[in-house]
Amino acid sequence: MACERNIERIQELVDGTLGAIRRTELEQHLGQCADCRALKEDLERIRDAAAALPALPPPDGAWLQIAGRLRHEGRIRETAAAARGSRSYAWLAIAATLVLAAGLSIPYLLRLTPAPAPPATGTIPVATNPKGNDSIEEVLSKVDAAQQQYEQAIVKMDDLRKANMNALDSQTSEVIEKNLGIIDRAIAENRAAVKAEPGSVAARETLFEALRQKVSLLQDTISLINEMRNGNNAAAAQLVNKS
Amino acid sequence: MSTSKEIDLALVARCRGGDLAAFEELYRAHAGRLYSLAFRMLGNAADAEDMLQEIFLSAHRKLESFRGEAALGTWLYRLAMNQILDYVRSRAARAGQLTDGLDDASVLPDASGHRLADRAIDRLDLERAIGELPDGCRAAFVLHDVEGLEHKEIAQVLGIAEGTSKSQVHKARLRLRGLLRRHGV
Repeated sequence: MACERNIERIQELVDGTLGAIRRTELEQHLGQCADCRALKEDLERIRDAAAALPALPPPDGAWLQIAGRLRHEGRIRETAAAARGSRSYAWLAIAATLVLAAGLSIPYLLRLTPAPAPPATGTIPVATNPKGNDSIEEVLSKVDAAQQQYEQAIVKMDDLRKANMNALDSQTSEVIEKNLGIIDRAIAENRAAVKAEPGSVAARETLFEALRQKVSLLQDTISLINEMRNGNNAAAAQLVNKS
Repeated sequence: MSTSKEIDLALVARCRGGDLAAFEELYRAHAGRLYSLAFRMLGNAADAEDMLQEIFLSAHRKLESFRGEAALGTWLYRLAMNQILDYVRSRAARAGQLTDGLDDASVLPDASGHRLADRAIDRLDLERAIGELPDGCRAAFVLHDVEGLEHKEIAQVLGIAEGTSKSQVHKARLRLRGLLRRHGV
């Protein structure tokens, strides 16, 4: 055990605030007392490890919640470019790609159980003519179709997840349910924003981002279930750390 | 060539105009640092996530007051710190412990004199142990050893004496040593 009368001095030594005379005295003591020396070294390591702690990534759903609340409070304005739909093709292409990704993921996910046939990805509306002259109405119609397919894919994955959650421990299930709840709230808020402003590019972009996050979380969850069932704890741990 | 102040002011002007993409840019640039601060000061992810939202919603409301005297990151950091501390104070007031809080017997090294293992302290073990510290003690430790504030600055932001800040940091380190040892570090 470190000598009680030296503990405060050791802390000051670690902080670099101990005066020269006391420091010399303490250093002589440290040369003879292994416990005090161990305390000093441990405190230095704790100090150094704390200083080296990296920034943590904010939770995935946080931005969506913030954007949803700003929109809900009427503090977001459509930019002129967005209102004209000049970015329509860009986000349509993104949306269509996301739907495609969701569709392609279904066969992989369905390793778990026999399941209905995956949606035909070939029918997904893709922005094939990004420099074309589609009207805003035509673009919106394509986006509506993409969104519909996206949501269908989510329903299938979510059904699969619900049917297999018993493979996960209760703590993991709880975290997943909580995160899905956050994303669902963001989807609901953004869906309401799209309903209020059907032609708003920004509102649809945010909604698609929320849908994309839900697909991503569902994919990770089902992958985790697969790994747990296969007894691959290392891969499961990697997925948990990733999320 | 634009100065960083001009860049900050231009971004803030876009945010004030209701441009969501601009505010997302601001969020992406600063959310990590502010979330980390909230997470470590509050000791858990759920409170930190709620706090992160409140910080950015509050920042959006207060952008009118940003004049560019300090860098945008510094302005946000101060705003975040104030909000986090308000929350810590109200939580501590409910629990009756801001300048808590650890009696000496609970923080002194144990009689066995066992030291931490020689391997590097794992980041997750340290994060978990910090989360187990009492509020006041954790706040002083995070501000000093993680965020790098001086005791004088900590005393100001926490509204405590400089000596109390020092004492809290020292107690926190001893307590962390015990917690890390218990976690097998």
